[in-house]
Amino acid sequence: MKIIVCVKQVLAANQIKFDVKTNTMVRAADNSYINPNDLFAIQIAVQLKERYGGTITAVTMGPPISEEVLLEAMALGVDRGMLLSDRRFAGADTLATSYVLGMGIRKLGDFDMVLCGTESTDGNTGQVGPQLAEEMDLPQVTRVEKIEKQGGMVRLERVSDGLREVMEVAPPVLLTISREAVSLSLPSLLDIQDAYVDKKLDCFTLDDLEADEQKVGLNGSGIWVTGLTQVPNKQKRCEFIKGGFRQQVQTLMEKLREKNLID
Amino acid sequence: MDLTLTVKQKAIRKMARQFAENELAPIAREIDAERRFPWEVIEKMGAVNFFGMQAPRKYGGAEVDSISYCIAVEELSRICAAIGLTVSVHNGVAVYPISVFANETQKKRFIPSLAAGEKIGGFCLTEPNAGSDANAIEATAVPHGDDYIVNANKIYVTNGGVADVLLVFTSVVSEGVKRGMGVFIVERGTPGFTVGILEDNCGMRANPVTSIILNDCRIPKANLLGEEGQGFKIGMIALETGRIGIAAQAVGIAQGALDVSIKYAKERIQFKVPIARHQAIQMMLADMSTSVEAARLLTYRAAHKKDKGESLSGASSMAKLFAARTASQVASMGLQIHGGYGYSKEYAIERYFRDARVTEIYEGTNEIQQMVIARELMKTSS
Repeated sequence: MKIIVCVKQVLAANQIKFDVKTNTMVRAADNSYINPNDLFAIQIAVQLKERYGGTITAVTMGPPISEEVLLEAMALGVDRGMLLSDRRFAGADTLATSYVLGMGIRKLGDFDMVLCGTESTDGNTGQVGPQLAEEMDLPQVTRVEKIEKQGGMVRLERVSDGLREVMEVAPPVLLTISREAVSLSLPSLLDIQDAYVDKKLDCFTLDDLEADEQKVGLNGSGIWVTGLTQVPNKQKRCEFIKGGFRQQVQTLMEKLREKNLID
Repeated sequence: MDLTLTVKQKAIRKMARQFAENELAPIAREIDAERRFPWEVIEKMGAVNFFGMQAPRKYGGAEVDSISYCIAVEELSRICAAIGLTVSVHNGVAVYPISVFANETQKKRFIPSLAAGEKIGGFCLTEPNAGSDANAIEATAVPHGDDYIVNANKIYVTNGGVADVLLVFTSVVSEGVKRGMGVFIVERGTPGFTVGILEDNCGMRANPVTSIILNDCRIPKANLLGEEGQGFKIGMIALETGRIGIAAQAVGIAQGALDVSIKYAKERIQFKVPIARHQAIQMMLADMSTSVEAARLLTYRAAHKKDKGESLSGASSMAKLFAARTASQVASMGLQIHGGYGYSKEYAIERYFRDARVTEIYEGTNEIQQMVIARELMKTSS
């Protein structure tokens, strides 16, 4: 089974910094890491490889520093990494991103499936998986929880509206992977040692991909962000209930009722 | 000079931190209170190579660099110092000397199960009448055919209650003549081998520190580490590098104490504001943080020297001395920030305070580190 996993470098939730002048987020080595939702796609790919054999390639688009997420993916069991990096890719929305990912994946030849996380934790659009399927003209199934090979077909399960859907699809196919699909495991020191020393990475620029400059970066984006303001975090509030024991219980019950937490 | 960590070292920190937060944070308080060795996490720790961090790859180790090793010990100790201790002693003064001084047969026989965490290592040097003065040990090994007859009464053995493979330091005596120190790789279960009382220690209570008694134990000559007479050198080299791990452990404890203190200072309201807004508390936090960072840098410097093959010449002693003092001071200041609550077992700072203290004592007291550092000064200055 030849599997491709798309991954993204995101900003740690508690370390997001905005550049108010350019309306963009500040990315740096110390505040970036692999999109947590992508870990489920990586983990299920590793399980499929263990069961059916084959290879896994992780693909990401981003600045050179994004190589770190590919190394992280390799420590988790991915065989090779593909970094799509070019200054001209900067400022891309999901459409332009999907185009570049598609051009990169085409360079990898035939494959059975492309796996993506459901969404990134810093953009939260959930669009890249589906858009990439459109870009590559692949059948797509979202929020997949279970994958099995059945003859030449792939049998999938997903949960929707409280119902378990079972479907079969002919590869190649694009799947986004639910957080319910697998439980995550940590890499060992030896896995990290191997991934970060061997660095089985290939880097591709716009010219290497023979991509259309009008379809990448800001040029290729259908959506431009015109404003960005920080939303204040919800503050937790602590309130001490006063009075004697009975009084305290009564007040507590009232407060819980007010919030509809009890009947 | 580049003081930034490599991407690999950062990845190791991330993994170790996640492991500690997922697996150790939920049990740290409980295992301290119950004095319980947490077997349930040991297998998981073995699976991610925490028991063979620097052991040779061909025997199942991960062969990480010494800074990575420090980072891992630091992150485990930040959450649970007693487990940080298990790992530091196992890797630093059991697996490391075997990796360096054992012959091929011994390496093949002992390292794989130690590196996998299937067996736990221990180091038996201290005796009732020999601590800092290691040469004063009374344990003896008398050659007898293909064996040595070993008698020893070792105390304060870290991991003692659970260790399967222990390095036992003895004085080799042949026909009444002392032939210098000999170190033996002794397996639990050898006839005459007994685990003694479990120490009721102030801190590190999840680590089963015990005495180990060898009573007319027949230890095969094949278990002698290095050569007869080489024991003192092996011990000193093991301790010299082992100290880097203890320094890392102390940095981890100090960092953990600082973290919980910052959290508390931001939450605790006095005089209508979080106490973190009071300058008196800010000054304490600033001093604590500065010391932790300085201790970390000294520790990484010693680790870096070790990897470059440079003489440690006091560097590991400086790191251990400074980091241990830092752990004690930072935990004490952190307790002060917590006020009365800090003195109660309800808050973790109380555990950090108890755990920190022994870092100034074991693997060479502060005073022994000062002696080593001073000796180096006398050697190098004209």
